[in-house]
Amino acid sequence: MKITEVTAPVPKGPGLLINILPVVVVVWGFVGVYLLQLAIDSTSRRQGERLMQELAYFPSGVALREAVIEYREIVADFIWLTAIDYYGRHQETDRRYEWLGHIFEILTTLDPRFVGAYHFGAITLAWDAHKPIEALRLLLNGMKANPLNWQLPFDAGFINYMLTGDYKSAAQLFQVAAELPGAWTVVSRWVPYITAKTGDFETARQMWKDLYYSTENKKLRELIIRQLQVLKLEEGIARLQEAVDQFYEKEKRLPNRIEELVGQGYIKEIPEEPFGGKYFIENGKVRSTTQPGLIK
Amino acid sequence: MFNRVFGVALNTFRESLRDRVLVALIVTAIVVMAGAKVIQPVAMGEADKIIKDLGLSAITLFCVLIAVLVGGRIVYREVEKRTIYLILARPVRRLEFILGKYLGLMAVLVLSLLIMTAGFYLILLISRVSVTLYLLWAVLMTAFELALLTAVAVFFSTFVTPIASSVFTFIIYFIGHSTYLLKQLAAMSPVPAIKFLGVVLYYILPNLGNFNIRGDVVYGVPLNPQALVLSALYGLVYSLTLLLIAVMIFNRKDF
Repeated sequence: MKITEVTAPVPKGPGLLINILPVVVVVWGFVGVYLLQLAIDSTSRRQGERLMQELAYFPSGVALREAVIEYREIVADFIWLTAIDYYGRHQETDRRYEWLGHIFEILTTLDPRFVGAYHFGAITLAWDAHKPIEALRLLLNGMKANPLNWQLPFDAGFINYMLTGDYKSAAQLFQVAAELPGAWTVVSRWVPYITAKTGDFETARQMWKDLYYSTENKKLRELIIRQLQVLKLEEGIARLQEAVDQFYEKEKRLPNRIEELVGQGYIKEIPEEPFGGKYFIENGKVRSTTQPGLIK
Repeated sequence: MFNRVFGVALNTFRESLRDRVLVALIVTAIVVMAGAKVIQPVAMGEADKIIKDLGLSAITLFCVLIAVLVGGRIVYREVEKRTIYLILARPVRRLEFILGKYLGLMAVLVLSLLIMTAGFYLILLISRVSVTLYLLWAVLMTAFELALLTAVAVFFSTFVTPIASSVFTFIIYFIGHSTYLLKQLAAMSPVPAIKFLGVVLYYILPNLGNFNIRGDVVYGVPLNPQALVLSALYGLVYSLTLLLIAVMIFNRKDF
């Protein structure tokens, strides 16, 4: 080695660069990670949706049940939170609930005694997803696993009464519910409702109200309030329709405007439109500017 | 004999308490349980159930991890560090050594279980969830599950490396919760050999499902006292048998 090599000053530039390089790389690494995550997040599927799709792979929850060994209840709880999130998100956006039935089936396969899940699942399936038959199937599974629980036959009776129009089954289910231990007093009150008169607004309203006070589930209560408003809308339309029909019978023509009905004394006042829309007459049929499908 | 077993147990207990893994697992368990508090407002009326499920599951899971991770290296470590020569040079029989190790680890697990359960009840109180002592039955049964699992860990620890021992113990834990599938398989299979094998494995492998009553206590279902006593006995008998095999293996080793 020559002396000049040893005494030569150390070149500063590259040395500094080498010292800083790892730090720079790390910083850029994090920037890269951040950008990638941004890109991943913006690609259509959000976290909840992805989980939902993962759950969709389980044919019925049986595979999942075996995979989670002794932690079934807690996994079911986690799916419960996911289901609520899924329901809430779709309720605010597209109001399509394709996976709702499947998710509740998985949940109750993992934890067949989760009565709250059958209850919430059935009501939302029936009224929001418009799948009363699927709701009834869920409740039937629940009744098999919890034969002493009165709420499940009660819900099934309610769905039969309100949606499928099977009053006979509804009456039988209410009777079953009423005889089970701890059954709520209103259940027995509902039995004569069903057997005496079927399909009137006052009964339906009373049933929804009873149901409202039976639950602490906030989402379920919101659904019930919505259904009470829908009921009010339907009742308003029915009352106006009756007046229009009377008007037509006497005057041999259709009223030009809804207000004409009040002016001529066919109806005392125009019923309130619960969603803030307006009633109108179209080809002799009373309608509302509120689109039933768009009610939140 | 008891003095010597106690001596080994006490040493194991003290040594394990210094293990950072132990502290980390206990703290994590309590943090996880406290996490349930966050869920409360979004649980839609099911928060009580979720907090209890999460608490009891976390207690079980983290104690299982302690048993698997700390238990897996309990005997091997002494061999590796050569400290086994010091111990066995004294008038300590190998049976006493294994038994002491096992009891020391069980003491650690019972202590962890008590700390986590105290944390769990504290969280129940803070969350204003209906507190009932009925839940303690599930914790008690978890203790018996841990007794069995610790025996499995000590058993493996006598002849394989710590990592292998932990992995094997974990596999046994998983299988132990699925053995009823073997019985179902035996019932469904038309092949006599599979039928036979299924039944044999069902009875040989530890059935850990016996100890899981968490769902029952959370839902407040009445427990069957006979089943509880039998399960507890099952845990003790199985554990002792395994420890005996462990001693036999350990006896054949040259130290």
